[in-house]
Amino acid sequence: MADLSKLYSMNRLYYVLLALGGLAVLGGAYAVFMMEHHGHIISGMNNQIVWGMPHVFAIFLIVAASGVLNVASIGSVFGKAVYKARAPLASLLSIAMLAGGLAVLMLDLGRPDRIIVAATNYNLTSVFAWNVVLYSGMFSLVIVYLWTMMERRMNPFNKAAGLAVFIWRFVLTTGTGLIFAFLTARQAYGSALLPPMFIVLSFAWGLAVFHVVQKVIYSWNEKTLDPAILQRTKNLLGVFIVGSLYMVATYHLTNMYFAHQTGFERFILMDGGVYPNLFWWGYVVLGNALPLLLIYFPGLGKTRCVMIASMMVVLGAFALLYVFIIGGQAYPLNIFPGYEVVSSFADGQVASYAPSLYEILLGFGGLAIAFLITTVSVRVLNFMPQDKPYISD
Amino acid sequence: MTQLALVIDLNVCVGCHACVTSCKEWNTSGSAGPLCDERPYEADPTGTFFNRVQTFEIGQYPNSETLHFPKSCLHCEDPPCVPVCPTGASYKRKQDGIVLVDYDKCIGCKYCTWACPYGAREIDEKQKVMKKCTLCVDRIYDMSLPENDRKPSCVKACPTSARLFGDIHDPESVVSLAIREEGGYALMPEWGTQPANHYLPRRKMKLKIHMDELERADNPLKVDGHLPKPAKGESSMDDVSAW
Repeated sequence: MADLSKLYSMNRLYYVLLALGGLAVLGGAYAVFMMEHHGHIISGMNNQIVWGMPHVFAIFLIVAASGVLNVASIGSVFGKAVYKARAPLASLLSIAMLAGGLAVLMLDLGRPDRIIVAATNYNLTSVFAWNVVLYSGMFSLVIVYLWTMMERRMNPFNKAAGLAVFIWRFVLTTGTGLIFAFLTARQAYGSALLPPMFIVLSFAWGLAVFHVVQKVIYSWNEKTLDPAILQRTKNLLGVFIVGSLYMVATYHLTNMYFAHQTGFERFILMDGGVYPNLFWWGYVVLGNALPLLLIYFPGLGKTRCVMIASMMVVLGAFALLYVFIIGGQAYPLNIFPGYEVVSSFADGQVASYAPSLYEILLGFGGLAIAFLITTVSVRVLNFMPQDKPYISD
Repeated sequence: MTQLALVIDLNVCVGCHACVTSCKEWNTSGSAGPLCDERPYEADPTGTFFNRVQTFEIGQYPNSETLHFPKSCLHCEDPPCVPVCPTGASYKRKQDGIVLVDYDKCIGCKYCTWACPYGAREIDEKQKVMKKCTLCVDRIYDMSLPENDRKPSCVKACPTSARLFGDIHDPESVVSLAIREEGGYALMPEWGTQPANHYLPRRKMKLKIHMDELERADNPLKVDGHLPKPAKGESSMDDVSAW
């Protein structure tokens, strides 16, 4: 009887979670309606900051969607059994986050109603258009990959699908990095380091999200994750954090080496108000230093520490993207080097940006879409990692 | 191939913003409009403008001077905003080199804003598509207007005639002549975008005058020594020429 009442309460909790997710999606839909009806004037975006808070959420979700597949790739491509057992969950998370991210990205367009125009008028020279193909291709490919894992008759194709997904996600994250790497006009971007930086960042962010979701699913099913497995993925997260910190540091150090970039670096790392604070406290300390401490400090590194570290990595990711996307636009175009420009249109000055409630609602709406897809899928299909009693690799 | 462009003489621009307002007036009511305005009479106005004036100071006070720099889309010969557009809504016309946006194809992704090194792109926050200077394409070919009026609105409005309009590929055009003879330059040529619009630099006019050119050396009374030289400040014979 006692078990049954627990089942009922779990069932109720499931529907409460669905309702909460649904509410957040509704909030996002409300924001889209408002921005559609009143125009982008009600958002915090302006002619200087054209991509705001929704892009921070969208790019996080898309980059993490690519990175979370790393878990699947280590299983499928490199044949590690511990990771292979987690490949279905990783693929599901990838689809869910991709769906959430793309929804935010599309609904934040000035004219989301013209998405059919984007699909039918295709400019081959545009990196933005390449990404449309990369995102939709990724979506289809991961669905096929999941199919080869979950349908016994399709199992023989699993290795090939895994390899295809492995390659595709590299290209996809390269594409996301290229959106910024091709921008020579702005001080913050136009660096060949950006695509590899995004790839390494995706590894850390994807694995951090995976850790959190995996923990919740294990708790939901009243199971305990084998500490040996957590030890391995925890160490991997540590390596990814160090790798991403290295890439970000290299990007800024190379920028500092170029005389014409030093003004921007000074702005983003020292003088820029909210941006240096977010970078140092949000990304470096909260998103990297503390998680590394929690993972590697002797005596720490247990389940709770890894979970907190993973959540910190996710928060650090948002801080970094805010600095990277919005800080990069806030720094003015350097049309008259060495001169302080004034204008009645805020040209030549550091642009101000305050995210509006609608943008934040839209961003959380995207997170909620990913949450709902994951929650429902985990409930109706078997995504619980099935570990063998003996780990062979 | 024709490449229409503006040539702006920074030597005579006084920063009066007549080009800004006339551009706004013509284009908000023309085929490129409407150009939205939000909170126009409040503390924090915002809106869509195709043409803006930026101002900066050269030198250190007190030896400083103010430069007004009107800036709109420069109609680059190799425009970076065109290849990045995912739908091809941004395009460069072959017949006259004007860079335009097809509002019906623009999805409002704003990626062209990121790509333009001159900050010439504008999001219309109401219509939610990208807009920019059209060189008054709906005006310069309007045969119902007198020929003299078939010029961009800003050119017609400029009180000091600081703005010239024409084909920079025609070596005999007024704009080519100005660029050639008055040191016209393109904004940030290092980007390789080959902006069609050019600027004529500030020029300091200096005239060397010698003292004897200020005195009437041939005043006959003075020559003959019949008149004493009046002291400074005193009235002279003719009130003009004694000194």
